[in-house]
Amino acid sequence: MGVVHGQEMVLNIGPQHPATHGVLRLQVKTDGEVISDIKPYLGYLHRCFEKHCENVTYEQVIPFTDRCDYLASMTMNFGYVVAMENLMDIKVNDRVQHIRVIMAELQRIASHLLATGVFGLDLGAFTPFLHMLRDRERIIDLFEMTCGARLLYNYMWVGGLSHDLPKGFVEATLNFLDYFEPKIDEFESLLGHNKIFVERTADIGIMPAEVAINFGVTGPNLRASGVNWDLRKDDPYSIYDRFDFNVPVGQGIKGTVGDSWDRFYVRLQEIRESVKIVRQAIDQLPKEGDVHQSMPKKIRPPKGSIYSRTESPRGDLGYYIESDGSDTPARLKMRSPAFTALGVLNEIAGGWLMSDVLAILGSLDIVLGEIDR
Amino acid sequence: MGLLENRFDDNIVVEKLDKLLSWARSTSPWFFQFGTACCAIEMMAAAASRHDLMRIGIIPRSSPRQADVMIVAGTVTMKMALRVKKLYEQMADPKYVVAMGSCATSGGPYWQHGYHVLKGVDLVIPVDVYVPGCPPRPEALIEGLLKLQEQILEGRPLTRKTG
Amino acid sequence: MSEDKQALIDDAVDKALAGDMDPINNIEDRVTRSKAKAALVKAKRAKPKTEIKSVASVIHEDSNTKSKDTIEQIVMTSLAKSFSDFLDGEQNSGWIQIKAENWFGIAKWLKENDDLYFDSLQCNTGIDLGEGMLESRYNLHSMKHLHAIEIRIKVSIEKPDIPSVESLWRVADWFERETYDMFGINFTGHRDLRRILLPEDWEGWPLRKDYEEQETYHGIVVPKVKEGWE
Repeated sequence: MGVVHGQEMVLNIGPQHPATHGVLRLQVKTDGEVISDIKPYLGYLHRCFEKHCENVTYEQVIPFTDRCDYLASMTMNFGYVVAMENLMDIKVNDRVQHIRVIMAELQRIASHLLATGVFGLDLGAFTPFLHMLRDRERIIDLFEMTCGARLLYNYMWVGGLSHDLPKGFVEATLNFLDYFEPKIDEFESLLGHNKIFVERTADIGIMPAEVAINFGVTGPNLRASGVNWDLRKDDPYSIYDRFDFNVPVGQGIKGTVGDSWDRFYVRLQEIRESVKIVRQAIDQLPKEGDVHQSMPKKIRPPKGSIYSRTESPRGDLGYYIESDGSDTPARLKMRSPAFTALGVLNEIAGGWLMSDVLAILGSLDIVLGEIDR
Repeated sequence: MGLLENRFDDNIVVEKLDKLLSWARSTSPWFFQFGTACCAIEMMAAAASRHDLMRIGIIPRSSPRQADVMIVAGTVTMKMALRVKKLYEQMADPKYVVAMGSCATSGGPYWQHGYHVLKGVDLVIPVDVYVPGCPPRPEALIEGLLKLQEQILEGRPLTRKTG
Repeated sequence: MSEDKQALIDDAVDKALAGDMDPINNIEDRVTRSKAKAALVKAKRAKPKTEIKSVASVIHEDSNTKSKDTIEQIVMTSLAKSFSDFLDGEQNSGWIQIKAENWFGIAKWLKENDDLYFDSLQCNTGIDLGEGMLESRYNLHSMKHLHAIEIRIKVSIEKPDIPSVESLWRVADWFERETYDMFGINFTGHRDLRRILLPEDWEGWPLRKDYEEQETYHGIVVPKVKEGWE
């Protein structure tokens, strides 16, 4: 048998491709089936978020933060209002804090449900996707009940909330949690222990902890690599220090620590923890309290700047706000977690086969709206 | 009167060929899932459990060459605009376009300062139905698709060119 | 995978690294061959990198070592021992303003010093200060000591050159490309400085204060009538 030298081939995926989660273009160099280099091309959804922020008032920024990460709008709002309240030194009352935590954690469940569902869909498992979207719709119904919108809420405002909780919300949420908790085990056995799914994800796309930190990867992707780092525990904002929950980290149950399966599994475990937090927050929810109590009439932060981070479902969501004393931001930068998560793709996908790229990309859980902003 | 009167049994319908064609076209328009931004999630929700577009014969396709309707779901940017045109040209005739959401309709919230946002997808491709909303609810999208079916039904492909 | 196959792959990869590709190409089994190639690509990538200290295990160990001085003061006093004339203008609490030319050396020192150990670059922000000045701001964070610091570097709009730190924190690769894309700050020494979000043929730097939108892009008209919009 003669010596066969592989010929390098360049393959384009996207910008319109069902598995790229939006409009992302990947230029993949392959030697046969083996990947040697991936160049992501971004910006197909660059909607000039930062330019808008410099031209609208501080209140008007909130709807634009919604539209950046459209799968986790509540947490995007949350990050922004936490940054603004730190900058202006506003204290909000307990009822507002509890409602915010309930909303953020419900949003985390919804986002992780879609992330794991679409991850399964990328690998050809259609049924879990339908199951997860069915339960996500129930969470969306709770949000709709609260603020009228299904996807982009504009619910958390600086110093308060747009509305108080509607009548019957607490009962509806508890009903949902009772219904939902057994379903998590179902998802785990349906997708997580599915032989095909395990074969496609375990030991694939391993991300060592030091690589993850050097590339600025955060959130579930970092935790899957075995690093116990969660801003809700390590740098608690809002009232997260009052709740009892665990931070799931990757253990390499089906393969190596930090593989694609671990990233999936960490998300699934986080859903369990979020359910726990929502239950505690509902238990402790104060009956009294005006949600508009601390809202300033006109938002005019003092001169200065702040960098504030919160934990969104995708990782460390940072807002850098520079104020010049007027009612519009002088500069507002969003440090988006999915942006850094996509940056590591070339590092961890090299050497794997063509079909693994989509598994690795799906496991990183990117949202293009937030990457391109 | 007439040659054809009373010459056929009950199971035969006499109709203009024109109308027959547009009737055939109007049922089961397969759509090209072209999600770019937030609206794509609502499009997914419309196609998935609960709303289930398939029950009215509307099936998502991933390739433009297999689709009849292109749903432009979400913001189209300058960088993407040229690709949108290319994808539209790849679709087989007859083809229709639904602009979903205010971004695809007019640029939406990004109208004023969005230097990189295309102010309405109709600047590059012809649009048949606009669905307003930011994002439109799945029900609104379904309504838009039903409106598109009505529009196709009224079209006369042989005698006059439809959009 | 059986152990003898793994041994075969390891052997072939070792030989390929030495320059002999034949052992890999001669593997009969297709699956094993592709696995060997995958292992080879990995090995080639891993080779030139410098060793990164394992940080995962030491996190949370000594978070209570902070003294009463603010972190900015600690960093400045220890920086003064190794660098001279690095500060730029007046200092303020909350950040350190340094000169552009020393930045790479200082960044390397900040990352590798055991007492500071800023292993994570959180954010890089560009900003147009007006009056012909641009600024690049870096938010650093140590996941070992749990402290954070902000570094600011001012450059003039005529000659916006800042040394790139992309080879220290790989996350800076895309951050710097984004800042370049939006402000036109030139990061010298960056290996792949291209526009990241906007198309390659875009004109102008959008987040500078004097930016004006282009009239058309590839023949697509940009509507300009914006009065009475609200």
